[in-house]
Amino acid sequence: MGSTSAENHGTEGVGRRDLIKRSAALGLISVPTMSFLSACASSGGDDSGDKAKAGKKTAKNPLGVNDTAGMEFVLFDGGFGKEYAEDAVKIYEKNFPKVKVKFSATQKIQSALQPRFNQGTPPDLIDNSGAEQMDMGVLSSKNQLTDLTPLLDAPSYDDPGKKVRDTLRPGIVEMGQLDGDPVWILYYAYTVYGVWYSQKALDSLDEQYPETWDQMLAVCEKAKKKGMAGWTYAGKYPYYLPFSLYPMIGKVGGREVLDAIDNLEPNAWKHPAVKACFDAYYELFKKGYVLKGTPGLDHIQSQTAWAEGKALFIPNGSWVENESANVIPKDFGLAVSAPTGLDSSDKMPFGTIWASGGEPFIVPSKAKNAAGGMEQLRIMLSEASSKNFTSKVKSLTAYNGGTDGIALTPGLKSGVAALDKAGENVLNPRMQDWYVQLQKEKIGVSGLGEMMAGRLTPAEAIKKIQGFADETAKDSSIKHYKHQ
Amino acid sequence: MQHGKYRFIVGFLALPLGLYALFVVWPFIQSIYYSFTDWTGLSPEFKMVGFDNYSRMLDDEIFWKSLQHSLLFALLLPVVTIGLALFFAFMINVGGRKRKNGPVITGVRGSSFYKIVYFFPQVLSIAIVALLFAFAYNPDSGAINSILRGIGLDNVQPLWLGDPDLALWAVMAVLVWSTVGFFVVLFSAGMASIPAEMYEAALLDGANRVTTFFRITLPLLWDTVQSGWVYMGILALGAESFAVVQIMTTGPGGPDYSTTVMVLYVYQKAFRDGQAAYATTIGVALLVVTLAFAAVVMRLGRRERLEY
Amino acid sequence: MVVMPLLWAVMTSFKDDKSIFSSPWSLPDSLHFDNWSRAWTEANMSDYFLNTVLVVGGSLIGTLVLGSMAAYVLARFDFPGNRFIYYLFIGGMSFPIMLALVPLFYVVNNMGLLNTIHGLILVYIAYSLPFTVFFLTAFFRTLPTSIAEAAFVDGASHSRTFFQIMLPMAKPGLVSVGIFNFLGQWNQYMLPTVLNTDPDKRVLTQGLVQLAVSQGYKGDWSGLFAGLVMAMLPVLAAYIIFQRQVVQGLTAGALK
Repeated sequence: MGSTSAENHGTEGVGRRDLIKRSAALGLISVPTMSFLSACASSGGDDSGDKAKAGKKTAKNPLGVNDTAGMEFVLFDGGFGKEYAEDAVKIYEKNFPKVKVKFSATQKIQSALQPRFNQGTPPDLIDNSGAEQMDMGVLSSKNQLTDLTPLLDAPSYDDPGKKVRDTLRPGIVEMGQLDGDPVWILYYAYTVYGVWYSQKALDSLDEQYPETWDQMLAVCEKAKKKGMAGWTYAGKYPYYLPFSLYPMIGKVGGREVLDAIDNLEPNAWKHPAVKACFDAYYELFKKGYVLKGTPGLDHIQSQTAWAEGKALFIPNGSWVENESANVIPKDFGLAVSAPTGLDSSDKMPFGTIWASGGEPFIVPSKAKNAAGGMEQLRIMLSEASSKNFTSKVKSLTAYNGGTDGIALTPGLKSGVAALDKAGENVLNPRMQDWYVQLQKEKIGVSGLGEMMAGRLTPAEAIKKIQGFADETAKDSSIKHYKHQ
Repeated sequence: MQHGKYRFIVGFLALPLGLYALFVVWPFIQSIYYSFTDWTGLSPEFKMVGFDNYSRMLDDEIFWKSLQHSLLFALLLPVVTIGLALFFAFMINVGGRKRKNGPVITGVRGSSFYKIVYFFPQVLSIAIVALLFAFAYNPDSGAINSILRGIGLDNVQPLWLGDPDLALWAVMAVLVWSTVGFFVVLFSAGMASIPAEMYEAALLDGANRVTTFFRITLPLLWDTVQSGWVYMGILALGAESFAVVQIMTTGPGGPDYSTTVMVLYVYQKAFRDGQAAYATTIGVALLVVTLAFAAVVMRLGRRERLEY
Repeated sequence: MVVMPLLWAVMTSFKDDKSIFSSPWSLPDSLHFDNWSRAWTEANMSDYFLNTVLVVGGSLIGTLVLGSMAAYVLARFDFPGNRFIYYLFIGGMSFPIMLALVPLFYVVNNMGLLNTIHGLILVYIAYSLPFTVFFLTAFFRTLPTSIAEAAFVDGASHSRTFFQIMLPMAKPGLVSVGIFNFLGQWNQYMLPTVLNTDPDKRVLTQGLVQLAVSQGYKGDWSGLFAGLVMAMLPVLAAYIIFQRQVVQGLTAGALK
């Protein structure tokens, strides 16, 4: 016993001294904490103290960016990767050589940034995208966002005679408005939604992309005989179905039907066009044209099955070319088409397509260097940066043009062609931006997902979805929007 | 002497208790406070709304569904997990065939190997386990349906996570798989310390293995079983079920809300819908359920123990 | 049943993306080590590894020291409030961490500990205390009182008795609770996501989820599996090395 304690003596002494030091340190910590305990829990940081002073506005620096102030840029690291943004950051740093941009990329936008909004120290530019997208309606109504109008009215990066707003694709500015004039969001990517397929597979069936539903069923039947399913989709995330279903509804019944749905008008879903389109999709299931097991596949799994030629068609957005690049064979002949309609009595012509902005960029109102954030966006909206984005990630940007002189990949080329063909007939349903829970969990998973798995009839699905929409319209905890 | 004792007690408790109060208890009290506000989680502004969030919760169908599933998790998972674990542990330690010249009571062959293997899933993060099984459940090319096809069951190709009747069970199976090993090791340790003479005496009395299990093993292990039950129930209500449902299921939480659980709903309200105050309200409900569960198990356990 | 999924994961980490989906059960056509190097470099696994070792190492020591101190006092001394404090700790096991995340962020932030390794260590310790105290209190109750009393009569102070006599006696219990805490802290994900957002200070689980989510967008499943296997190997190794102590510790502690 005695010898043990003697041996341990040395270590014991250290341990105890260590402990005393520890408690002293903790005492120091807990003193300020105690005063904090009595203070209000979530009092944010002081938000006006350390904003960057405005720099001098010049022709080269129309937004008056402070050329010494730091700038922080947080990017959503998703299907488009982060390289395009890093390239744009390099240009910013070249233009303002005294500045080091703090750039980071994450998939968990809200986990990472929510506390910083509460604290009053958000970054200067955010790509607010992905599964953890922060609700921009809440952000704008709580005065957390900067109006991007100065950016839109600034001269564009390439041509001082042209405002930024005049270089953008139609619809981009309107999408950034939530209610009233201020533009809170700039959607940087431009996504073409529709039915994606392999030209090679269609050729092997000796078929063209079907324009009417009867033709669609015929093509699927032909494929089925060859042991190939007609359709698959992201069964675990059935809110991919609307990418072709919504524009089909618009084509069949006209724009107003989709607007009424977005506006949560009573009985909007009971419109005959909705029923007709639901019936059409349900028929795909009934006739066994949907790849077996689809309701249990996630987006990657369904895209892989489709790329392997197990199914002909998949509703998706233009990111699919980049996302599935590893599994799409070289001779696939990736192409997108505007959705198939019912027949010639449809209100809008074949070619009517859903295209709209993606990757919402925001500049927080409490950003230290909001002008810097906007300047970074202005750089990204230049023709060179836009081309860089397009060639790197195979997607269009909000910049109108930017495809000349670069080699377009097959999917991109077909997307551009589809847009050309659509002309004025571009639809932009807003459900997925305005009412995330309604769109994804209720309409998508509980409505369409159940119907396409054969567990609801179209009539039941419509009744259920209308009920969900009515609930959302009544729910005072949700912010409501209307098409202008 | 007395003085010295109290100084010692205070000295030893101050640090851990302080740290615990500061980082665990205090944030928790705050979140209860938030449940009486309309805080969005995205800005520091909010105002008091009284019991609005609570009355909204009582009218919220999705909340009730998530409550049902959470309760099912808390009740069923421990029963299945602990039942299986007791069985495996019994087999490993006592279930072996009597060998010539060997001790009367032995485990099955290779029992020490099993003890290592059973613990494997426990060392894996539940997120890894969930991802792994999401792959295995893929109806088109996943491992499970491939096996079914492989043994000629081409017509039995369930949708697993895509089927509202199966999804919840598929998720539970993953949780059982990932936790059963911990309890096998725990119970094995307990069984190893039960004196072999007790079994020998029982066997001499003509008891078979089943009766020895119920007459000797289970009563002696009852304390461990009971605390394991509480521990497992808490896991099933909280962190573990969140990771699994979030990563594996349709939506997540579907299909058609068939797998949504309370923790997932808390997360969705706070991180998707910008309704942090409502999220904490559901969180408070979750806490009440957890504490009630623990209390009920403790109470039930005591009564059952008297019967022995 | 138990080993197969793990072997499958290891095997899959050596395949290319296409064969993962087309033939999930076949052996890899060739060993794609590029998956591993891709995961190691792209996901910054090497940096995250170091951070994780620092955080888990620091908090493990802290948890054991503070946990055993509290447990010892609660197990061996009668004083008003003893039961209350004990149940306060035990109750902590049923507090869902997620609920406290946002307020916790402010506490940590107001103390200037956000995005610091030592801040993360303190929080890990706090959240490991309930189980540690629960486990060790039971353990200290089982230790014989006579030796400690003898030492005390010999003139040793309470704290000296604790450090010189009780702690060495409690070694089996400390080892096993230490291993449980190691597993829990190594795999902890929620706390670092919120409290440790600085990309340079990320821990392994964060890197892994980053990898997992980005694979969801980029379709690089082979890289993901390589990362998964990479993250679980050290834990498996640690368990196999300490396996005897775990079982011994459980025998000594849990049954009482």
